[in-house]
This record gives sequence, structure tokens and C-alpha cells, in this order.
Amino acid sequence: MIRLKNVTKTYKPKVHALRDVSLHVKPGEFISIVGRSGSGKTTLVKMLFAEESPTRGKVVIGDWDISGIRRADIPGLRRQIGVVYQDFKLLPRKTVHENVAFALEVAGERTGRIKKIVPQVLKIVGLANKTDRYPRQLSGGEQQRVSIARALVHRPKIIIADEPTGNLDTIHSHEILQLLKQINEFGTTVVLVTHDRDIVNALKKRVITIHEGEIVSDVKHGKYVLS
Amino acid sequence: MSLLLSFYRIIKFTIQNFFRNFWLSFVTITIFILTLITINAVIFMNMVAGAALQSVEEKVEVSVYFTPEASEELVKSAQGYLLGFDQVRDAVFVSGEDALELFTERHQDDSIILGALEEVGDNPFGHAIVIASHSPDDFAFILEAIETPEYAPFIKKKDYTDHEAVIENIESLNDRIRIGGIVLAIFFTIVAVMIIFNAIRVAIYVHRDEIGIMKLVGANDWFVRGPFLLEAILYSLFAVVVVGVAVFVILGFIDPWISSYFGEVQVDARVYFVQNGLLIFGAQFIILSFLSLLTTLFAMRRYLRV
Repeated sequence: MIRLKNVTKTYKPKVHALRDVSLHVKPGEFISIVGRSGSGKTTLVKMLFAEESPTRGKVVIGDWDISGIRRADIPGLRRQIGVVYQDFKLLPRKTVHENVAFALEVAGERTGRIKKIVPQVLKIVGLANKTDRYPRQLSGGEQQRVSIARALVHRPKIIIADEPTGNLDTIHSHEILQLLKQINEFGTTVVLVTHDRDIVNALKKRVITIHEGEIVSDVKHGKYVLS
Repeated sequence: MSLLLSFYRIIKFTIQNFFRNFWLSFVTITIFILTLITINAVIFMNMVAGAALQSVEEKVEVSVYFTPEASEELVKSAQGYLLGFDQVRDAVFVSGEDALELFTERHQDDSIILGALEEVGDNPFGHAIVIASHSPDDFAFILEAIETPEYAPFIKKKDYTDHEAVIENIESLNDRIRIGGIVLAIFFTIVAVMIIFNAIRVAIYVHRDEIGIMKLVGANDWFVRGPFLLEAILYSLFAVVVVGVAVFVILGFIDPWISSYFGEVQVDARVYFVQNGLLIFGAQFIILSFLSLLTTLFAMRRYLRV
């Protein structure tokens, strides 16, 4: 599903965010990428939806080598991947329903189908009664659930969650984690980036640890090993 | 994706953005309106100055006086000859009798002049032609043109020299006002362009995060740009319509005042804006939209690189 081969990312003048990283994620896997701030984990996931491009090496999603993806092809790639961000990245002038629908509208989905699917997804994330609210009228946990609904709505094969609980309290963090686990149980590959020890340990899934741009451990049922 | 569906969604988002961000739309349109008012004020001043000058120019007439020996037929043939020139707006025949009558009437209280006239006995005035041209520049040509062998021996006097200084002054004033108008228009256009650039850049800057989010969700560049571009056209349309209505309302109030200020000089600004309104406001809409679109495209460029 996801394959990174000898990926290096260097920022000018000579900052190495990633050094010769190789990684293979199978379909339906749930992996956690952990590491300290500045370790390169966010750079790594940004490459999966072409927000960053590798300086050297190959990034393959499915059968698609996106290492040198053309600008015009990036929207197509992003419509196949769902991304959940730490700061939610919701459109402030759109309601909950409109935010989720937007992901389908950009992909050219028919209006009738959008009207059918969006309420279903909002029901899954527990926001069926808040569809007409604006993001500013929601709590942090609710905003993150909107973000997850948006990532889910076009039924992507991969969900990338970049520090999704970073701005949330413990209760909301566990709610979000449960949602991601449910999504994974339906067969979606989930890539979780986090530095939250409790979450990683509670998951008991594959853990990849990055330190100074290199993968230092990759354990199938791993734990948070950094001090 | 069907183009029609995309276009429908872009229009939907444009209208949503316009009203949901009402204050930003209001402020941007207000800036556009103030800019257009300045431009229209310059157009108005140029128009008033031009109309006033034209009116004065039209009042400049040059008379060609013939000797008493020149027959009415000869002078009328000279009149016909002059009317054949494009430069001649009008050429009016004034008979010797009419000239005498006019002279007597004008000096009815001056016994010395009337006494002198009586002393002469016969009518000392010959026939004359009063010439009006399209432009004061043309008089030199016209007065030279009449100096044909047929008419020249009978021409007693041409009063061009009396008016020459006045005509030259008018021409010089006309040139200065036109150049001044152009300089003023260029200056205000540059200011207007800078203001429009800034207003749009601010509007885009406010939405820079949203632009990035749309891109991350999978929107292509044109799907993101579309609503912003249409919004820029909508701002321009609103501004031009408001200014168009305001110009006619204001002219309705100040037209009588302008007419009384200029007296005999015909300055009908309202008629001018009615006759040229489509061109003036149409051009303003097109230029304003073009500038707004260009600035929007330019301002969005960096935020689309996500």
C-alpha cells in the first residue's frame, strides 16, 4: 500500500530531515510513527500526500510512484488519501456539513450522492446533530471529528493522522483513537503520527520510531520506547 | 468532473463567501467605490473644462469686411465658397444695410459718432461675412483661403488680427487643461491601481489558510481560484453600479448649480454621462475587473503552492 525506498529529504542549506528511509506498509495495517519534535516524522507523512517531495529516493502509494509527481496530479492523489491534522484544518466559513461535503465536491461527486453520504459519515463520528454549526461553534474534540469525517467521506484506502490528539484532552484523545481503530477495522490503512506515549502503548500495533531522520526501530506490536 | 457541475459549485461558493464574509466584501467594495469616485471626478472635471472651452471656442467668430464696391452677388458667392471648406462651421452674410443698422443701434447714445455718420452721407459699410470655424486653429487657413484673385481686391478688412491674441490664449488654455487632465487622470489611475492591488491582496491574505486547506483536501488550482476570481468580478460590479447610480444622483443635484455658474456656456454634465454612460462605466467595470482578476491571480499564487 505504501512503500518508501531510500528516501532522503534535505532542506537548504544542509538540514537533513530524513536520511535514507525505507518502509513498507501493507493494506489494512495500523502503524504509529513516533519520534521527538523535529525527528522527521511529519516530513515523512507529508510526502505521502505530496505536501513535500523527496530529495532522493522513491515514494510509492499503491502502484503510483509519487516521488516526482506533477503538480496537476497532486489533487488526484489527495482525493484518494484522507488526512487528519493536529490543527484540524477546517474551513472556517463553512458549516460542519459543508466542510465534509467539500472533500466530495472537489472530486466532482454528484450533489444527490453528497446529500446521502455526508449525513451518514457525520453520524458515524457522532456529529449528526451539529451539521449546521460552524467550526468556531464546536469544541476541539468535535472539530477533530469533523476533520476525521472529511478524511473518511470519500472512502480512502489510506488515512493519515498527523498528531490528531495533539490539541485534545485525554477523554477526547481516546474518542479519536477509538474512531481511528474502527476505521482500520473496516480495512482502511491508518498511519498515525504521534508522540503520545499512552496512545501508542494502548494501541498495541506496529510502531516505527524515527530519530534524527532515521528509522531506529520498527516493531510489530510495539510500545513507545523513547524516553 | 463535469465542467458545468464545477462551475455551478464555484458560483455557489462565490455567493457563500461574499455574504459570509460580509465585512471584508463591504470594505473591499467601499475601497473600489472611493477609487472609482476619484476617477469619475477627474472625468467630470475634464468634461466640464472641455465643454466650457468648446463653448468659448464656438463663440469666436471672424468677420471679413468687403468694400462698398463689392456686389451682394460677389459676397454671397464668397460665402458659398467658404461654406465649401470642412473647417468652416458657419458663414453668415451680413448686408451693408444690416451693418449700418447694427452700428447705429449700438451707438444710439453717442451723438458724435452718429453725427460723423450723418456727415458721410452714404452708407459707408460694405457687405461682410461672419465666419465660425470648428476650431480656432482653422481661422488662419480660412482667411488665407478667401484671398483668391476673385475676392481679394474687394476685401477691405479681416478682423482676425483683433482676435488673434484671444484665440491664441484659448488654444493655449485648452492645451494646458487637456494636458493637465491627462496628467491628473494618469496620477489617479496609478493611485487607483495601487489601492485595488492592496485591497485584493489583503482580501486574499485573510484567506490564505483556507486556500491551503482546500488544496490539501484535493481541490485543483482552478477550483480554489474560481470563487476568488468571481468574487473579484462581483466586487467590481457592485462598485461600478453604486458609483454609476451615485454619479447620476449627484449630477441631478449639482447640474442646476453648474449651469448657473457657467451662465451662457452650455455645460450639461448629466447629458454627457447619459450619452457616454455605457462607455464610461462599462470601461470602468472591464478595467476594474481585469485589475482585480490579475491581482487575485498574482496574490493567490504563493498560497496555492501547497
